[in-house]
Amino acid sequence: MKRVVYPFAAVLGQDEIKKALLCNLVNPMIGGVLISGEKGTAKSTLVRGLEALAGSQRLVELPLNITEDRLVGSIDLSRALLEGRSVLEPGVLWEADGNILYVDEVNLLSDHIVNTLLEVAAGKQNVVEREGISCVHDSRFVLIGSMNPEEGKLRSQFLDRFGLYVEVQGERDPAARVEIMSRRLEFERDPLGFLEAYREETARLQRAVTKARELLPKVEVTENALALAASLSENVHCCGHRGELATVETARALAALDGRRMLNTEDIREAARFALAHRAREIAPGTALPPEGEPDSREDRDRQDQETQQEENQEPAENPDKTPEEERNQDSEPQTSEEQEKPAEQQDSENTGEESGRREPSRQISDGEDREGDFGESEEVQESGEAFEIPRWQEPPAFHRVNQGAGKRTLVKSDNHQGRYVGYRTAGGEKAEDLAFDATVRAAAPFQKNRKKNGRAIAIEKADMRLKIREKRTGGCILFVVDASASMGANRRMTEVKAAIVSLLNVSYQKRDRVGLIAFRKDGAELLLGITRSVDLAQKRLAELPTGGKTPLAAGLDLAYEVIMGLKMREPEVQPVIVLVSDGRASGKKDKNSNPFAEALKSAERIGNQKIRTIILDTENGFIRFHLCGKLNEKLKGTLLTMEELRSDGIIEAVKGYAAPLA
Amino acid sequence: MNRKKTYCFTAIVGQEDMKTALILNVINPGLGGVLIRGEKGTAKSTAVRALAELLPLRRQVKGCRFGCDPDDAAHLCDECRARLERGEILEAEEQPMRVIDLPVSATEDRVVGTLDIEHAIKTGEKKFETGILAGANRNILYVDEVNLLDDHVVDVLLDSAAMGVNTVEREGVSYSHPAAFILVGTMNPEEGDLRPQLIDRFGLSVTVAGEHEVERRVEVLENRLKYENDPEAFFQEYEPKQAELRARISEACARLPKVTYSRAVMELIAKICIQLEVDGHRADIVMLKTAVTLAAYHGKDQVEKEEILQAARLALPHRMRRRPFEDAQFDFSRIEELLRE
Repeated sequence: MKRVVYPFAAVLGQDEIKKALLCNLVNPMIGGVLISGEKGTAKSTLVRGLEALAGSQRLVELPLNITEDRLVGSIDLSRALLEGRSVLEPGVLWEADGNILYVDEVNLLSDHIVNTLLEVAAGKQNVVEREGISCVHDSRFVLIGSMNPEEGKLRSQFLDRFGLYVEVQGERDPAARVEIMSRRLEFERDPLGFLEAYREETARLQRAVTKARELLPKVEVTENALALAASLSENVHCCGHRGELATVETARALAALDGRRMLNTEDIREAARFALAHRAREIAPGTALPPEGEPDSREDRDRQDQETQQEENQEPAENPDKTPEEERNQDSEPQTSEEQEKPAEQQDSENTGEESGRREPSRQISDGEDREGDFGESEEVQESGEAFEIPRWQEPPAFHRVNQGAGKRTLVKSDNHQGRYVGYRTAGGEKAEDLAFDATVRAAAPFQKNRKKNGRAIAIEKADMRLKIREKRTGGCILFVVDASASMGANRRMTEVKAAIVSLLNVSYQKRDRVGLIAFRKDGAELLLGITRSVDLAQKRLAELPTGGKTPLAAGLDLAYEVIMGLKMREPEVQPVIVLVSDGRASGKKDKNSNPFAEALKSAERIGNQKIRTIILDTENGFIRFHLCGKLNEKLKGTLLTMEELRSDGIIEAVKGYAAPLA
Repeated sequence: MNRKKTYCFTAIVGQEDMKTALILNVINPGLGGVLIRGEKGTAKSTAVRALAELLPLRRQVKGCRFGCDPDDAAHLCDECRARLERGEILEAEEQPMRVIDLPVSATEDRVVGTLDIEHAIKTGEKKFETGILAGANRNILYVDEVNLLDDHVVDVLLDSAAMGVNTVEREGVSYSHPAAFILVGTMNPEEGDLRPQLIDRFGLSVTVAGEHEVERRVEVLENRLKYENDPEAFFQEYEPKQAELRARISEACARLPKVTYSRAVMELIAKICIQLEVDGHRADIVMLKTAVTLAAYHGKDQVEKEEILQAARLALPHRMRRRPFEDAQFDFSRIEELLRE
């Protein structure tokens, strides 16, 4: 369906995306662009409006729910059935060749499709080997993606595929917002008339693109420019060379758009801003990368950009005499500023100061307060400490194996007819449940001429049977079992524990995990929150959680066992995880003759025997340690982490990675 | 089968915000729907289903499976466009707007449409069999328990809700068709959240709560019992009120294109949105459209402060920027302050 698209030229502001998009039109060697930003900031409007400027290039859309056969192409069903010939019916990758391929909400694309897309994007060729079709065709496209980081992150491999990266924000200026509103309403009232009104401006932009395309081959790249690009890239610890290549190609496009044949340092710097941001490797944990979409990092970057600009304003715009060495020194400032090297905590608190009101002020965790006196039956509610960011998780490779190929957390290959149909497989000897009709018919199509039909229109044999491959985004299921006894009130330990849990909940929120919360204190364990998708609720319950009383650890574990077993009964495909937050000490026994810790070990063993995944957050601190959690973990056969580890470099990632393939 | 009458919209006691939000969407389908949040048993789905009785007649192309608007050249489906280009005249007929259900259990192929297997097997030709979204074009798409919808179905809704087009590239089918629907969702927030991206697709949002006044509660009970005892009599009793509301809606529909707004109104809206730190620009646009529609509903030709305040109440609460786990507190005093200035 041909749709009427809001004209590119009528979008107010958003100069960064516009520039990045236009550069890609001018120079397809850049390798596309990823646009990340909050909702309602004209991301997809701009991309869709690009087609009008692209000359002969078309905008080919890759919808999220695409199936593999439409992506790579498959046998032409009609011709196979009617003429008995195997002919390729080209897919989206064929259409995209020489054009622009656009994926909206690219972070939600199913893994199955992403893998294929990555392969083709890398090889620039699409190899079709299926249904008796064997063919290879070129597939060179400008890949454009847009995403809202609130909905989850992009795999780093995929991220790297995009030549450029831009972040968008809404306009803050009232006058601009008024203009945006009135143009939009005008467009909706009379779309065709609106297009007409911007025809002139659109044509002007189109001419500019055409001219720049002609000029591009003549734009010269000097040694100096190359050296500058390389040093910029090195300064932000980019992996690989794609970053500097994209920088140079973008700079060429910028010069061409500007009508120049000479690159200047300004072009390179501007290009580097687009090309390196998403490739900068993490230097210190807790330094959120731009694609992670943390508002803080965005502000950081903005601030850095401003610094860069200020710096540049002080010097003459062009300074060809400068050696690359000098450039490097100057440019190292904004990118690897000390700020990034600071521990995450400190940085967080700085940001808090800036965005006052958006966050609870950070609490000092060990503020030296002596709360020993609070032991006993008294109750108190400690608030959550400052949540820390859990950096992008890196999948520990071992996990796929452990998990018997069940896939990673967000995507489970589902076998109960739920989830998105992304591809198909041969049935083999399996019972043909969840038959992929389309694929089955296609598989049978080439042989129709020679088959006995017995009065049927189409003869399908067992070997033709194809079953659907489905992917389901389930999210994990995490049950927190939290020690809320008096000892947790000591030294504001609960504050820290709550911070740790909130950090995990933050991740769960994005992954749409389900969570539950059990607290054990006083005389028993209590299910504060049954397994629910409302992570909000979990956080609320957690905030209200009082501490005080004895430590019936065994009761907590027993309740967790019951909850998890009940869940497994209802939903066998779920692989839940218990996160036990405790120092391992137990008090308050079930019966007089046993010891509380022995009881806890028994309960732990029961969980361990069921192969329920567990993580223990050992909250034991101080100089004298009993390492009781270690003993507990022998029975639970899970992962043991101390709070220090959780806070310190790297391990957070491990937890995250551990939590990752839970589903 | 005759369409079963559900309940009378006008017999629903209280819940004014919800009722207004629904009516506004009928008057102006461009508002982007409404999300109704509330506890169990607060007449959420009853209201949406009862809305069907109030929906106005409108022109659509006869025989078109997407119910294209013959007067809107910009949004015709491929088939209608082709007919028009062949020089045919698109015959129009009057049909009421409908409420189309999207059950939570709906599979993706039923939602977006799929390959017509039967046709393929019988004739060897490929044909696109339309799904729920095709029927929803220019109608109300109703999702009860929208927060329980499968993620991959939500993904599909996101795009078509924003663009008004459903693009299908699956199961050997490549097709796109208009799917400009009014998205109406109801949910009980206790059962989990809605994804932020989907929340933003809803033009308006309202939160409903049970009535707390005894008198009101009695009234609710009385109405319900009357309905259950003798539905026919109940409908007859409310018919005058229903007819009155229907007339008011169609009057507002006619007035809508004539409503004007000053630059000051737009500036005020922009200021409010900046003050409240809403994400993106959709809030501004929806708020302005809501204010215009409210003016039409109020029988005015000009947007006034009253409409802006009410529009803010409907269009902003779900768009307030918040980090996960923060309570979204919607502070009207700030808006009122801005309005007074």
